[in-house]
Amino acid sequence: MTDVRAPQTDPFDPAAEPGDSPRPGPASPAGGAFGLSGWLRWAWRQLTSMRIALVLLFLLALGSVPGSMLPQQGNNPSGVRQYYASHPALAPWLNHLGLFNVFGAPWFAAIYLLLFASLAGCVVPRTFRLAGSARTLPPRAPRHLARLPRSAEYVTTLPPAEAVETAARVLAGRGFRLRRADSAVPDSAGTEPADAGAWVSAEKGYLREAGNLLFHLALLGVLVSVALGGLFGYKADRLLVQGTTFADTASALDEFHPGRLVTAGDLGPFTITLNRFDASYIASGPQRGQPSAFDAQISYTEQRGGPARTGHLAVNRPLSVDGAKVYLIGHGYAPRFTVTDARGQVVYDAPTPFIAGPSGNFLSEGVVKVPDAQPDQLGFTGVFVPTAVDVGGTLESVFPAADNPVVSLIAYAGDLGTDSGVSQSVYQLDTSGMQRLTARPQVLQPGQSLKLPGGRGTITFTGYVPWVSLAITHDPGQLPALICGIAALGGLLLSFMIRRRRVFVRARAGENGTTVEVGGLARTDASGGFEAEFASLAAELRAACQQGRHPLPEGE
Amino acid sequence: MPSPVLKALPSRVPLSRARRRAVVLAAAVLVAALLAVALVAAFGGGSSGVTYLDSTDTAVLYASGHRPLAPEFSSTTLSGAPMRLSSYRGKVVVLNFWGSWCDPCRAEAPALAAVARHYQPAGVSFLGVDERDSQASAEAFVRNYGVTYPSVGDPSQVIALDFSAVVPLAGTPTTLVIDPSGHIAGAVFESATYSELSAILAKVTGKGG
Repeated sequence: MTDVRAPQTDPFDPAAEPGDSPRPGPASPAGGAFGLSGWLRWAWRQLTSMRIALVLLFLLALGSVPGSMLPQQGNNPSGVRQYYASHPALAPWLNHLGLFNVFGAPWFAAIYLLLFASLAGCVVPRTFRLAGSARTLPPRAPRHLARLPRSAEYVTTLPPAEAVETAARVLAGRGFRLRRADSAVPDSAGTEPADAGAWVSAEKGYLREAGNLLFHLALLGVLVSVALGGLFGYKADRLLVQGTTFADTASALDEFHPGRLVTAGDLGPFTITLNRFDASYIASGPQRGQPSAFDAQISYTEQRGGPARTGHLAVNRPLSVDGAKVYLIGHGYAPRFTVTDARGQVVYDAPTPFIAGPSGNFLSEGVVKVPDAQPDQLGFTGVFVPTAVDVGGTLESVFPAADNPVVSLIAYAGDLGTDSGVSQSVYQLDTSGMQRLTARPQVLQPGQSLKLPGGRGTITFTGYVPWVSLAITHDPGQLPALICGIAALGGLLLSFMIRRRRVFVRARAGENGTTVEVGGLARTDASGGFEAEFASLAAELRAACQQGRHPLPEGE
Repeated sequence: MPSPVLKALPSRVPLSRARRRAVVLAAAVLVAALLAVALVAAFGGGSSGVTYLDSTDTAVLYASGHRPLAPEFSSTTLSGAPMRLSSYRGKVVVLNFWGSWCDPCRAEAPALAAVARHYQPAGVSFLGVDERDSQASAEAFVRNYGVTYPSVGDPSQVIALDFSAVVPLAGTPTTLVIDPSGHIAGAVFESATYSELSAILAKVTGKGG
């Protein structure tokens, strides 16, 4: 499709594309009897035409616009819920059109499948044609070489057959592909009987066709690679608290977006343990509070029961494990709480990841749910302040490192809504069935406890650990796509920089010896390099005839 | 610029009709194959030897000969006792993957306890695998729901990882029924109900439920 070639006036384009240019005849179904096969052929020709491919490409771009303007179910489900809440009338209609899941919508799939078919239908036949044209012989020499764009003429004493033979040797030495009068593969038009004269056709620059071929094959390769990635790749996220391990399996992943042909069993059997996470920040100056370094020390096993290796993760320094890449994409604090219920039982003792809010310096928000507290379930909304400073009665974080960590908690008791079986977000507390126990947020420093009113128990802030969030991606099409992309570029350069050029030599016996006519033409000779090449070639041919001349008696 | 001579230049021999048709056919076959792959990918295909017990495809029975071998694990129970799966060889085992944080697990817990009460006297063993949980929360869950059978801890989910290599274990909860030879005979890939579990157990134990 993206061929580099002059329009259809080009006299010797071997890869002329019937689908690209409107043609007379059965290209349109308007005229004549047109059976089902005719319609199908017409539809196929339309589908594989450059125009339709461009239209589809444009539609693909247009179709992805709502994907970036509207919240998407896959990566922002809470945004979709918010959109439903704020546009109750419009949202169901948008949902019917698949606009909250654009990249999984049937109409989007239709566009890209048609585009794929269009590209494949365009590129595959063209590949066959290019492969054919890279093997063709040059055409027979035209009769009147002087009418070609470049021509030269000289007289030699060699007989015509030998003059042509000499020229053929020179041309072959220059890397031309030859066609001689006797290598007569009959033309489609039949042999020309009167053309028994001595001639040779030569053509050079077939590498251009090879480049073109490489470009088209690589284009197909890119399509296949992208399809490979979409079918067999996956993306996943996982939050990992320091000191814990996770296994790369669907149930252990917080977010999992598998490719079409990925099943839970295809995930790599690796495990990763976060041994330690350190973040350092600039302590003074105008850049104060900006991160200066992150380092996650991990140990991992590639196979179950295999040796444990250690490694480091940092931003933009992913870990390659078992065909997947693991990126460090975020971090935060997980304050640790111990909760005892009214009966004195320890019902909660775990680090709880809090998520940094928009106010900066890692002022983080989170939720503690204690579903098995007796007699009532307990819930807490909290704020973790890494470096707390009291500013007029409100806590603010003045530095992202945990220099003076405190938590501020609001306690609730009642029904968390967890037992209905509908999964809730672990970062949100539904307080509709709960009673607020503390009028004001209660601030705790590490080691401090809050006694819940009414003898409902206590919560203790026992410390904190860092967490990291990891993105795990596996795209088997990435490397093939890169290789094919480079090959496509190489092919394109070849087809741009190499010219197909033809040189014809014809010799006729005349009164003063043998007249040798040389004609040449080049395609897409924008740089004008062929003129010089032809001149030097003509001179060389003439010189070769001079050297090969038989010594003739003077005066003859 | 194109002179009559240039126009008269013998151009490439056009592809013969048969060859062009072959090329179009090859392209059509390629596209059809791609579409077929996409369709298979979109709608999936069932594998033989699997019977779905309900319309939502979450409860399945594996025919004998199609039962995957349950991977062995050894861990410690929540009360600290060592536990191996292979020590249950010769018995039907209900293996329940759960977590105290998991809301569907809480929803299925009463049904599971009822199934255990009914089938434990008939010689069926029950074992929990506690996923990504803390000891305190797991113990509170067990106390709260009156779970009478043991659970092993799987905080890093490596047991789930091993099982996901043989059955499509996509999340928590999942309940597997393992036959006396140690092969997985049935599964509920969601919150399990009393009727689903008793239907699977009736088939696997060969006794009516």
